[in-house]
Amino acid sequence: MTERPTRSRPNELRQWYAVVTSQVSHYLRSYRFLGLLGFIVLISAVTILLELQSGVTLVRAVQLYSYSEYLSNFYQWGNLWIFMGAAFFAGDALSVDFSTGTGYYMLVLPIHRRTLLAGRYVSATLAILAILVIFFVIGILGGAYFFGIGDVPWLKVGITFGLYVVLTLAAVSVAFCISAVVRSPSAGVLTTILTLYVGFMTLETTVELTGQEPWFSLNYAGNGIPNVLDIDFSHVAELPVGTGQYTTLWTAYPSEGAVIISAYVVVFFLLSLFLYNRKESTG
Amino acid sequence: MPSIDVRHLSKSFRKAGPVLDDVTFRYEGPGAIGYLGPNGAGKTTTLKLLVGLLRPTGGRALLNGLEVTENRQAALWDVGALIETPEPYPTQSVAEALRTVGQIRSLSREGIDFEIARLHEELKLPPLERRCGALSKGQRQRVALAAALIGDPSVLLLDEPSSALDPAERVLVRNLLGRLKKDHLILLVSHQVADIAEVCDDVLILDRGHVVLKDHVENVIARAPSRQLDVEFLRAVPLAAFSAFGADVGAVERLSDLHYRLRFDGSEEARGRILAGCLRLGPIAQFSNATLALEDAYLQLLNATPGPPAVVGSG
Repeated sequence: MTERPTRSRPNELRQWYAVVTSQVSHYLRSYRFLGLLGFIVLISAVTILLELQSGVTLVRAVQLYSYSEYLSNFYQWGNLWIFMGAAFFAGDALSVDFSTGTGYYMLVLPIHRRTLLAGRYVSATLAILAILVIFFVIGILGGAYFFGIGDVPWLKVGITFGLYVVLTLAAVSVAFCISAVVRSPSAGVLTTILTLYVGFMTLETTVELTGQEPWFSLNYAGNGIPNVLDIDFSHVAELPVGTGQYTTLWTAYPSEGAVIISAYVVVFFLLSLFLYNRKESTG
Repeated sequence: MPSIDVRHLSKSFRKAGPVLDDVTFRYEGPGAIGYLGPNGAGKTTTLKLLVGLLRPTGGRALLNGLEVTENRQAALWDVGALIETPEPYPTQSVAEALRTVGQIRSLSREGIDFEIARLHEELKLPPLERRCGALSKGQRQRVALAAALIGDPSVLLLDEPSSALDPAERVLVRNLLGRLKKDHLILLVSHQVADIAEVCDDVLILDRGHVVLKDHVENVIARAPSRQLDVEFLRAVPLAAFSAFGADVGAVERLSDLHYRLRFDGSEEARGRILAGCLRLGPIAQFSNATLALEDAYLQLLNATPGPPAVVGSG
């Protein structure tokens, strides 16, 4: 027999790194990453092309002659892209272990489930952030054409990006939680996008109709992030709905949004960890 | 010393009800144990409980003295498992998939390279740069087996490791397991009873969630009553001559002009009548029970336990 290979004692950090590297390379080669990236680049490019068609003067006027205002409006899309990324990369990140052969490959190894979850959590976050960085760069380049590269509000852009990183963590946490509950990977992806976007948006609208601030919604909190760049921000607005009546529209303060988003990160990460640890391979 | 220790292990599912009921066995030291039973007997469930894919309803499952429910990292540290149909990420190459396992097992970079080269050779793995998503079922199974063997863990839990392999690959795996059992403890689940007979020293038979037999392979074979007789005549006897035996002989297999194998119901009365009948056909050189294969013994044992299974054996 051959001599047994020497192995060091299990090192959770090393195992976590192994999971991250294999998972990130898997994501970056997947069609869903390339597809989502392509889609976002296309939508962003079309938006800028339409603005170009309108003419620089009109765009500058609409955006209150402010690079910051321009970026605030451009980055409003960030919420949707992050939620889509969370659905694509995290919506099935845990359910694959219980409905496909991936679990029988990974879960029989000497690794804690918390390490696997943490590795996949960071990987999904990195995949989404890779797309987000490109989206931010496109926004800056588009704005530079209209307002000049010298006027980029770097600090505000940095804060906005930082808050979007936290939103990404929150969206991934929610998606992981869903993924730890549902059995099928495709159902996980679909349920995530429906929950994060359609579900929250519907609840928000309903609550706003009653005159209340939908402070509990992750979508609402996320929509507050680009307000960092907004030069014409108002927290509450009255909108006429006819017959002399008004409805109240709420927009989150960035700081308020940050608190809500952080709460989502903590609660849903812990919940997904608990659910994933308890889940059995019954298939 | 590698060990597998299962103590009063039970598992019940909400919909399917009890699948394992108070299963107990213990093996220590190198060797191979065949884990047999019909579909749904609870074999894969036992393996899943051992590696923590399921949580027991009752009892304990220990590997090398450690319980996976308490510390899965430590308990599985020296354990390789192949359960159901493991699938690496389809976007990963064979080398990447195995490298990930090596890293999780905390092998050094050189150790991983060495292990991949060794297993590539021993298991005739597909080209290492090929994407896992492009592998055939058999190739994928060999990669999964390689993943279980990487780092040379002392306990191996293998669930149908050659179910998707062609005959030549099956022989390859069988020979490898035959070598590994000298210094590893292998729990082998397989429907290929011939593989179990070839590789394993001991056999554990499970039926409807209960261990119905635990013994050495040769004892299992010896215990089962033979229902076949080998008769060798001193001069040629035509096959048609056996029609005179009537209902006593179920089937006749001609092994040569002089040598026949007769199937019967196993009773002593029928055996006596068949012997008398054979003597009428001509002088006999040899009249004996046909040597049973493990498969025959296994089938006889399962057919003989229609009620609640009772444990037999000495293991």
